[in-house]
Amino acid sequence: MKSQGQERKYVPELPQKEAEELRNSAKTMSMKVMADNIQRMKKTAPNRPEAMQYFDDISNFFGQREKEIRAEKEKGKKVIGYFCTFAPIELILAADAIPVRVSSGFYDTSKLGDRIVPVEVCPVIRSTIGAKMVGLSPYLELSDAIISTLTCDGMTKLSEIMSDYKPILTMSPPRVKDSAQSLHLWSEEIKAVKAQIEEVTGNKITSKKLRAAIETMQKATKAFRRLQDLRKGNPVIMGRDAMLVNQTSMWDDIKRWTEKTEALCDELEKRVQQKAWACPPDTPRVLVTGTPMFWPDNWKVPTLIEEATPQGVLVADELCSSDRILYDPVGIDEWTMDDMLKGISERYLMASTCPCFTSKDGNEDRINWLLNKTKEFKVNGVIYYVVRGCMLYAMEYSRVKKALDRINIPVYYLDTEYTREDVGQLKTRVEAFLEMLTARVDF
Amino acid sequence: MGIQTVKVVILKDGTVASRSKAFSGFEPTKAAEQAFEEALKNAKIPKKDVVQILATGSGMEMAPYANGTVSMMGADAKAGVFLFPSARTVIDIGAEEARAVKCDERGFMMDFVVNERCAAGAGTFIEAMARALEVKLEDMGPLSLKAERASPINASCVIFGESDVVTLIHRQESKPEIARAVFDAMADRVSSMVHRLGINPEVVLAGGVAKDVGFIESLKRNLGINLLIPEYPEYAGALGAALTAANRVKAAK
Amino acid sequence: MSLKTVSDALSLTISAGLVLAGILVIFIWIKDRTRKISYLRIFIQAVSLFAIFSTVLLLAQWNSLVLAVVILVLPIFVGRFFCGWICPFGFYLDLVSLVRKTFRIRYWILPEKVNVYLHKLRYVIAASVLATPFFFGPLDVKTWSSFLQFQGSFKPLIVYFLGPLEPLLIPWPGGIGFNGYSLSYPYIRGITIYWNDPLFSTIAVWAFLAVTVASSFMVRRFWCRFCPTGVSAAALNRFSFLKRIPIVHLNKSEEKCTKCGICKRACPVQVTEVYEQKGGDIATSMCMMCLRCVEMCPYEGCLKVNAAGKTIIKSRNWLEPSKSE
Repeated sequence: MKSQGQERKYVPELPQKEAEELRNSAKTMSMKVMADNIQRMKKTAPNRPEAMQYFDDISNFFGQREKEIRAEKEKGKKVIGYFCTFAPIELILAADAIPVRVSSGFYDTSKLGDRIVPVEVCPVIRSTIGAKMVGLSPYLELSDAIISTLTCDGMTKLSEIMSDYKPILTMSPPRVKDSAQSLHLWSEEIKAVKAQIEEVTGNKITSKKLRAAIETMQKATKAFRRLQDLRKGNPVIMGRDAMLVNQTSMWDDIKRWTEKTEALCDELEKRVQQKAWACPPDTPRVLVTGTPMFWPDNWKVPTLIEEATPQGVLVADELCSSDRILYDPVGIDEWTMDDMLKGISERYLMASTCPCFTSKDGNEDRINWLLNKTKEFKVNGVIYYVVRGCMLYAMEYSRVKKALDRINIPVYYLDTEYTREDVGQLKTRVEAFLEMLTARVDF
Repeated sequence: MGIQTVKVVILKDGTVASRSKAFSGFEPTKAAEQAFEEALKNAKIPKKDVVQILATGSGMEMAPYANGTVSMMGADAKAGVFLFPSARTVIDIGAEEARAVKCDERGFMMDFVVNERCAAGAGTFIEAMARALEVKLEDMGPLSLKAERASPINASCVIFGESDVVTLIHRQESKPEIARAVFDAMADRVSSMVHRLGINPEVVLAGGVAKDVGFIESLKRNLGINLLIPEYPEYAGALGAALTAANRVKAAK
Repeated sequence: MSLKTVSDALSLTISAGLVLAGILVIFIWIKDRTRKISYLRIFIQAVSLFAIFSTVLLLAQWNSLVLAVVILVLPIFVGRFFCGWICPFGFYLDLVSLVRKTFRIRYWILPEKVNVYLHKLRYVIAASVLATPFFFGPLDVKTWSSFLQFQGSFKPLIVYFLGPLEPLLIPWPGGIGFNGYSLSYPYIRGITIYWNDPLFSTIAVWAFLAVTVASSFMVRRFWCRFCPTGVSAAALNRFSFLKRIPIVHLNKSEEKCTKCGICKRACPVQVTEVYEQKGGDIATSMCMMCLRCVEMCPYEGCLKVNAAGKTIIKSRNWLEPSKSE
């Protein structure tokens, strides 16, 4: 942990007053955006499930959850943040710490990040830097340590920048997924981070606690998958609502989240029986794939899809901020510490569809996942969403397009930034795409 | 409802009854109303006889009297196939935007690509360059046809393009050659956009810029294929919207 | 052989089966999807043990033929299903593993290369076993007929190849016996028939017992990786032109697999083809069809067992944590 006196490597010291002002304006804007988004979701689906109320409350960054985490911290619990879905949440839970994802979705702070790193850098990174500069994100502020997986160039440098503020526990995933050395490297990284988590929290991770943590996450995966399965048929929940549920799992208390999601699924199942659809069954079904979209500001594209004329419905996505978060469970054969750690490292490495990897056997995991989902969810069209600056996702576009062309699914490349100004342009494109899908659906 | 001009097309019994246009200016809604009245007068059709009105273009939200909207890409596809039944790709170049659409034989769009960020592939580029050369806009085309060759200019941005033209003037290159350079650069931008989409023959060129012979030549050269050009290319979007309106009325019955 | 003998055999098997069913019905239909097939398998292994025991006991003169069909012919069509579900030797090794699991002792993983060499070793063992009598007995015209009828010095061959089917208690003298019955750990009778020295026999028997039990304690199904009895099925699965013959296949869906690696970790004989192969029928001669991988795969329909094209069992989304160890 950097002491106050030492100079920071990257970020200049912002004068107190300026930081305060920026934080307040960004906070006000964020709260407005969050409320606005929820309002619009309610408007699109007038008979929105009642169980969504809980998720609306939790989605407020500056509300209930912040207070809860503060209270837990006062009791002595530690908070461990993470940027990517590679961080082993089971280990964090087993050490009695609170896991929160701290990737930033605030548009306003990305301009602040521009002062430190060039504009071409991934906006998520810039926004996170900006958020830290003014202390905007409560979860980031409350973290005692952050697990940073160095998946892409941006992440690598971000962890350096952040190391000025918080202890960073780095994990380097190998770039080739499936060689023997890769799995060995990753297993060692997991063991190393386990020791570091134990140090930060002061709790030892025993096999009993780890087993309990794995079982908790398995239950969460079960609820998660149950929700996604309900989206396979006619639309009983709008895509944005489901996405909100998915996203809240990243910072909410996972056990409570599981309960509430199961309750939501119960309500949705009743609606399926009553055939109370959230939107007409012939609405074009869209899948979004690409760089993660974080609440609150980055709701732009899903909002456009579901409020466009003609309307579309988001039935599935391949985003590490949504349908990918809890999709894969950790499978354990015999509950020994060795097997559990092996299971955790294999689940987080092998099952990932992140384009930061390539693999010896052709790197088809992401393509297979997309093809599978497209078929299961009867997707009509795919929107390939990329934030400007992300090489990895942008470069995989041609491959994904080819694979989807083969099964005759239209793909549209949409690239955007952390800005609210290009909504008009995006609207034209999204509406044209949906019009195209409607025509295809009709025939 | 284009950025520069508003165009209106009235369809009667499957053929074009009349067309009219007006400059959008500061009040596009008013301009649209004006153009609409004029078109009705030309076609000698009373307003109440118009069963369905659809608006398209970047200003479609501001259209008066419209029953609904349709995207420019969808409209272009419909218009292309209506005018040339063998058309499968439509390139529409407007004042500020360029689009390309792939369609099937029924006029349904299958894929599209839009370029509204870069003015170097749209009409205003020609206007800006004409100003720099001190040539009238309508003379740019015939002028460029006189040139045998042209120096390439950087067309990654209109701003740079303009300064490149100034460089060529200082190098004492002739006006026809510079004019041709301008069109070649535009054709480059448009063709790279179209290549992202992929070309299915036949290709229709529409939009206001399609009236310019200089650009047509440059694009033909660049793409290496023949282009089908309608008589009133700038009305393609409005025509497509009218066709879609007719289809919707038929479907409702 | 009389009808009475057959009916006795059958009734013995059935009653044994029912007894076990009574015990296991408490365990078998528990909600733990990751254990269902495993419990079923242990049950069937126990039943087959009793069945074999009664066959050996009551149909002495037919045992060779019956067992030969089971071991040599059946695997041609169902692969090494025999190894996972019927072989009593395998059953003993599984019981040893169960003991290890109760004490929560971690198993050892053999390095890939070692596993593969062991696997190839069994051809060597099988060949040498087949060849041994030629070196120990007199070679004459009778030798070949003896070979074909498993008489004389070739009698032990039966014991080798049918070795794994030996139930623990056999009704004739063997290595360690009492009251006309013998404790016959598989393959032991083969050793004792060749060398009749009692001291040697006893030592050999205990040594063999110790080695197989100990090794299978730490390495799951250790013997099975180089067991010469599994040879016949192996050959067929390996060669692509013969792949048509086995009608039972383990099939993998390329699209659904997310490479989570659970199948590879759960496999008791460390088959890696199920993980590494992209899709289609998994062709491997090591797989015992114990279906642990199918049980543990968390993606619906990813791993399937197909018999003559139709799916019998497929992987399910188990996602409910185990309620018992």
